[in-house]
Amino acid sequence: GVLAHLEMLEARAHQEAVEQEEKEQREERLAFLKARVQELRLQRDELRDKLDRQEKAQLGKEGIVSDPALPSPRAVLEWKIRSLRGLLQVFQLTGFSGKLSRRGLRFSLRTSYEGSYLDSFHLELLLRPEFRIRRHSVPAFIPLEQLARKFLPSDLRSFLNVLSQHLNGFVGRRHQAEQLQEQFSEWLQGAPRGNSLCNLLTFRYSIPGKSQNSRNFPFRARLLYGDPCRSLPTEVAVSCSPDAPAPLAEAAAAHSELFRSLALPRAFRSL
Amino acid sequence: MDSSVCQAYEDEIQALEEEIRLLTEKYEDIQQESTFFSDEEILKSLKSFQRETQGETRGHESPSDLKAQLESLETDLSFLMKFTGFQFTSHSKKTVEKTRNRTVQKHRLSGKCHSLSFQLEFQLLETEDKEKVSTVVTDLSIIMESREDSDVSKFVSRTEEHGNLLAFFRSLSTYAEWYEHRRRTFLHFK
Repeated sequence: GVLAHLEMLEARAHQEAVEQEEKEQREERLAFLKARVQELRLQRDELRDKLDRQEKAQLGKEGIVSDPALPSPRAVLEWKIRSLRGLLQVFQLTGFSGKLSRRGLRFSLRTSYEGSYLDSFHLELLLRPEFRIRRHSVPAFIPLEQLARKFLPSDLRSFLNVLSQHLNGFVGRRHQAEQLQEQFSEWLQGAPRGNSLCNLLTFRYSIPGKSQNSRNFPFRARLLYGDPCRSLPTEVAVSCSPDAPAPLAEAAAAHSELFRSLALPRAFRSL
Repeated sequence: MDSSVCQAYEDEIQALEEEIRLLTEKYEDIQQESTFFSDEEILKSLKSFQRETQGETRGHESPSDLKAQLESLETDLSFLMKFTGFQFTSHSKKTVEKTRNRTVQKHRLSGKCHSLSFQLEFQLLETEDKEKVSTVVTDLSIIMESREDSDVSKFVSRTEEHGNLLAFFRSLSTYAEWYEHRRRTFLHFK
């Protein structure tokens, strides 16, 4: 009857009110976003102009460019701070960076292989009450204790130099194995197998497209890196399956020489 | 519909914020890289900065903060130079390319390690992939006075060929220490 009808009208009015509110919220949000986009576009365009003017000013003057407005003392100091931070970054590129604090010394040893900078390792040394290594991130298979006993506390520099050589040797070997796996996966049977120090590496490989069926990996290589500070092996043995044709056996000997003198990925590239 | 328009605006906002961040960094990098202030200018600025901002520290770092930062950085550098034997006499860098996950900077560095001088030019490429930042050196060129010395010439050409800047510094450090030790020994016997 009338009550039901009234209820229905009330419900409909309520529904319409809700829809109207939602519509207004959407429109408000849209308007807000649109305004924000325009504000950011303006900011972006101003920056582009600023960079353009900066570029023109640079091309116009030779040598050192200085701001037409004399920079504030704060700006000069901030420039110097950024400049010094840049120099500290350069020290990081040298492989060593460190900081002296009241408690002791903190060192960061960076490793690299050819042009790529790789892992960093950290070392914290206490000077008081006695000289000792407090904390470090050097892996257990690097003879840290041995080196410490040999060189510390009298020859800190040699300690760090030799430690750096061990770390660089290890990371270099590991990086070569990883790169080999990444760049030549179809040539290899599975993944190269090695130990944690990465001074023993074995793998089976074939040369795709060179006569034999490459699903059969005829070459077996075993590389031993006798010098922990170097990333080239001291002993290489490349063998062929006994039923392999003669040319392959000859190739194995040539490969052996190659692996002894070139980094693995580079050696493979020249195969 | 409305929601896709909203989404389009939100995407554009994100892209614009990113672009603004990059442009700002680029502008600041170029400003930094194209200016130079001498040590006297730095000292003068320190003095006038402290005078100017006495009491006024709202919104900015106080003069003592900037001064403290400066001193802390200089102490760190001084320690490193004494400990490693490396003294950098000049360093300039130029940002050649900067995008969201790739930065290329050209560096010019000159200095000495103990008594051996060197001059370097190289490009540093930093790429960010997921959360890993990788740093690679390209176009390394090394100038050393003592290049006629066969030992020096050997490690210089080897490290230059592979762009192994770190190995150059390490080898130079070892060689320079040995060279310095030898020089002092000879002086002792004069």
